[in-house]
Amino acid sequence: MLEVRGLAKRFGGVRAVDGIDFAIKPGEVFGLIGPNGSGKSTTVNLVCGLYEPTAGAILFEGQDIVRVPTHQRLSLGLARTFQNIRLFANLTVWENLWMAENAPAHRTESGFLKRWIGGRGDARDRIAKALEFSGLSHRADDLAGSLAFGEQRRLELARALAAKPKLLLLDEPAAGMNAEEIAQLDERIRALQRQGYTILLIEHHMELVMAVTDRICVLNFGRKIAEGTPGEVQADPAVREAYLGTAA
Amino acid sequence: MDFYYSLAQIIGFHALIGLSAYVVLQTGQVSLAQAGFFAIGAYVAAMLTVLAGWHLVPAMLAAGVAAAVMACIVGFPALRVRGLMLVIATLAFGEAVRLFFFNFDYQIAKGGVKVGPLGGEGFRQIRWFPEHGWTSFDVMLFVWAVVALVAGALWWMDRSRFGAVLRAVGEDELAAQSVGLNLTAVKVAAMTIGGFIAGLGGAIYAHYTTHIEHSNFNVLLATFAIAYPILGGLRNVFGTIVAVIFVQGFLVEGLRFLGDWRNLLFGALIVLAMNLRPNGLIDAATAQRLARLFGRETRRA
Amino acid sequence: MGFVDYVQAIIDGLLFGTTYSLIGIGFTLVFGVMHKINMSYAAASLAGAYCGLAGPQLLSLPLWSVFPISIVAAGVIGYLIYLACFRFIPLASPLAPLMSTVGMLLLVDEIVVHATAGMPQNYPAIYDGDPIELGAFILRADLLGVFLISLVAMVVLLLLLYRTRLGMATRAVAQQPVAAQLCGMRLQAVNGLTFVMSGLLGGVAGAMIGASVGMLSPLISGTITVKGLIVTVIGGLGSIPGAIVAGLLVGAAENLFQAMRNVTERDIYVMLLLFVFLVLRPNGLFAAGRGRD
Repeated sequence: MLEVRGLAKRFGGVRAVDGIDFAIKPGEVFGLIGPNGSGKSTTVNLVCGLYEPTAGAILFEGQDIVRVPTHQRLSLGLARTFQNIRLFANLTVWENLWMAENAPAHRTESGFLKRWIGGRGDARDRIAKALEFSGLSHRADDLAGSLAFGEQRRLELARALAAKPKLLLLDEPAAGMNAEEIAQLDERIRALQRQGYTILLIEHHMELVMAVTDRICVLNFGRKIAEGTPGEVQADPAVREAYLGTAA
Repeated sequence: MDFYYSLAQIIGFHALIGLSAYVVLQTGQVSLAQAGFFAIGAYVAAMLTVLAGWHLVPAMLAAGVAAAVMACIVGFPALRVRGLMLVIATLAFGEAVRLFFFNFDYQIAKGGVKVGPLGGEGFRQIRWFPEHGWTSFDVMLFVWAVVALVAGALWWMDRSRFGAVLRAVGEDELAAQSVGLNLTAVKVAAMTIGGFIAGLGGAIYAHYTTHIEHSNFNVLLATFAIAYPILGGLRNVFGTIVAVIFVQGFLVEGLRFLGDWRNLLFGALIVLAMNLRPNGLIDAATAQRLARLFGRETRRA
Repeated sequence: MGFVDYVQAIIDGLLFGTTYSLIGIGFTLVFGVMHKINMSYAAASLAGAYCGLAGPQLLSLPLWSVFPISIVAAGVIGYLIYLACFRFIPLASPLAPLMSTVGMLLLVDEIVVHATAGMPQNYPAIYDGDPIELGAFILRADLLGVFLISLVAMVVLLLLLYRTRLGMATRAVAQQPVAAQLCGMRLQAVNGLTFVMSGLLGGVAGAMIGASVGMLSPLISGTITVKGLIVTVIGGLGSIPGAIVAGLLVGAAENLFQAMRNVTERDIYVMLLLFVFLVLRPNGLFAAGRGRD
C-alpha cells in the first residue's frame, strides 16, 4: 500500500533521513521505531507532505505522491495523528470531527453545497457514531481544548478515522499514557486492523510495538538498520546496539 | 432625531467594515486592508451613480464585486506571508489604495458642472439619496437592512461547515492541512468575502456622506475594522456588532462632550481591554457558556 | 531631470535613509526578542522627539538639549509601552498584544496632537554649515550630520548587543526564551530593557527625522510607521543588518521616486517596492536564523 524508496531529507547540513526504503502491505500494522533523533517523525512528515523530500519517492498504492499537496493526501486515503496533539482547541469535539470530512467518500455522500454551506444536520449520524466508537459522546459539545489528555488522544484518533483513510499514521499515540490507557490503545489498534485499516505506527513504547505490529522497521541516524517481524527485530544485535549502545 | 439616525447610520457602516474584518480574522489573517476595500467600494459606487447614472442598489453590488475582486487578488500574495508580516503588508496595501485615490482624477461634465473624483479634494456631490427623496430615516433603515442581511448571512455561515472550517484554519493551519482542508482556497475565499462586505459598506458610506476623500480611509479606519472583531471576540458575529455599538455608540458619541479626546479614549480603551480580556469580550469559552444559557438545542450531536 | 539629479536624489536618500534604518532596527529588535511587533514604535519615537522640544521651550535649556532629551524621553516612553502592552498581556495570545499596540499608537498620536494643538513644531538642525561639494554632487551638511549620528547610534547598539552581558542576554532570549530563563535570566527584565534600547534608538531616529525635515508634525507618524515596517519586512524580521540595508534602500528609492515622479506619488511606489519584495523574497533580505518553535 505504501512504499518508500530512497527517501531522504536534509535540513541544512543535517541528514534527518538518509535514504530509507520500506514497504507496507495492505491490512498490516507496520511499526517504525528507533532511538530519539533517528528520523521517525521526519519520515512521517514526509509521507504526509508537511516536508518535501530532498530525494526519493513515496508510492501510495503505486502512485508517487511526492508532488501531491498536503491537504490532498487525505483525499487519497492517508490520515495521521500528531505526536503532540494538534486538535482545534477552540472548536467543539463535534466540530473537530466535522472538519475531517474531506475524503472522496464524503463527497459522494453529500453534495458540494451541503458539505460547505450545509448545517450540522447532514453529518449528525456519522459523527454520532464516531463519537460512540471513541467513547466521547458525552463530550460532544465541549471545546476540544478542555478535554482531559486521554480524551484528547481519543479525539485525535477519531478525527483521523473520520476521514475514512486507507492508511492510518499514528505518531507516538502512547506518549503520556498510563498502563491502562495503553492497554486500551492496544485493543483499539487491533480493532482497527480487524476493520481493515492499514496502520503505520511510530512508537517508543516497546511493549506496545512488539505486541501489536506485524512487521517493524528500525531506524537509526536516518538510516534503516533492521526490518522484520517483532521477534526478528528483538533478536537483531544491530537494534540492541542502537538502543543500548553495546552489543548485549 | 436626525442625530440619532445619523449615529445609527455610522454604527451601520462600522458594523459592515467590522464584519468584513471578522470573516478574514477568523482564518488567522490579520488584515489592515479592509479600509482599502471599503475605499474601493466607496469610489466605485459613487462613480457609478454620479457619472454613469446607475441606481444605488446595482451600484452597491457592483462596488462590492469590485472590492471582492481586488481582495481576491490581494489574497494570493497574502498567502506567502505569515502572521505579523501580513499585518504590515495589508497595512501597506491599505495605504497604497488611499494614496492612489489621493492622486486619482476622473471628472466628466454633467449638465455644465464637472463631477467626479478630483485627487486630494476628493469626490463631491454624491447626491443619490437627496436626489431620490430619501430622508435620513429611510437611509438609516436601508443601512440597517443591509447590515441585518450581512450579519444574518454570516451568522448562518458561522453555524455551517464553512464557518467551522474558517475557524479551524485560524486555529491550526498544520492540523487543518493534515485533515484535508485546502488552506489556499479557504484563506482566499475569506479575504474575498471580507472584501465584498467592505465594498458594500463603502458604497453606502459614500452616499451617506456625499463627499468622500482619501483621508476618510486611513489607518484609523483600518484599525477600527479589526478592533471590532478583536474586542468582540472572534467566535461570534454578535461579538463584533456589540463591539461596534459599544465603541461608536457609547464611546464616540456618548462621550461627545470630551470632543477631540475621543480618539485618545479609544486608544486607551483598546489597551485596557487587551490587558483585561485578551481574547475579546465574547471568546470561545464565553460563547460556550452563552450557548448553554440559551439552551441551544441545535448544538447537540 | 538629468542623470546628476537622480544620483543626487539617491545620495540624499541614502543619508536620510539611516533614520529609516534606525526605526527598522527598533521594530526588528522587539520582534527578534519577543516575536511581536510594537505598532506604536514610530509614533513613540516621534513623541520622544517632541518631548525634546520641551527642553528649550518649557525649561529654558539651550537649544542643543533637544537631542539628548528626545533620546532619553523616547527610552522612557518605550518602557511605558512595554508595561502597558506587553508586561501583563499573555504573550501567547495571538492578537491581544498587537491590538494593544495599535491602541497605543492611537493614544500616543492623540496625546501629541493635543499637546501641540495640532500645529507643526520647528525642530533644530544638527549642523547648519555649508554643504560639501563632491564634483557635481552636493552633500548637505545637515543630512550628513544626521547620517553620522545615526551611524554612531547603530554602532553603539551593536556594541551593546555583542559586547555586553545585557546584549548577550537579549540575544539569548531572542533565540531560546525558555532556556534563557532556565539559565537564570529574568525574562521581564530583558524584555523591558529591549524596549528601552529600542526606545532610545527610536529617540535618535525621531530627533534626526525632525532635524532633517526641520519640523515635526503629528501627520507624519502614520507614514513613518508604514515605512519603518516596510524597512523591517524588506530587511527580514529579526535581522538588524537587514534593517540597516533596507533602510538605506528605502530612503534612496523613495527619494529617487520623488525625483522621477512627484511627492504625492512617491509613497505609492514605496508600497509597490514592498510588494515586489514580498513576492520575490517573503522572508526579507536577511531572514533571521531558525531556532524557535
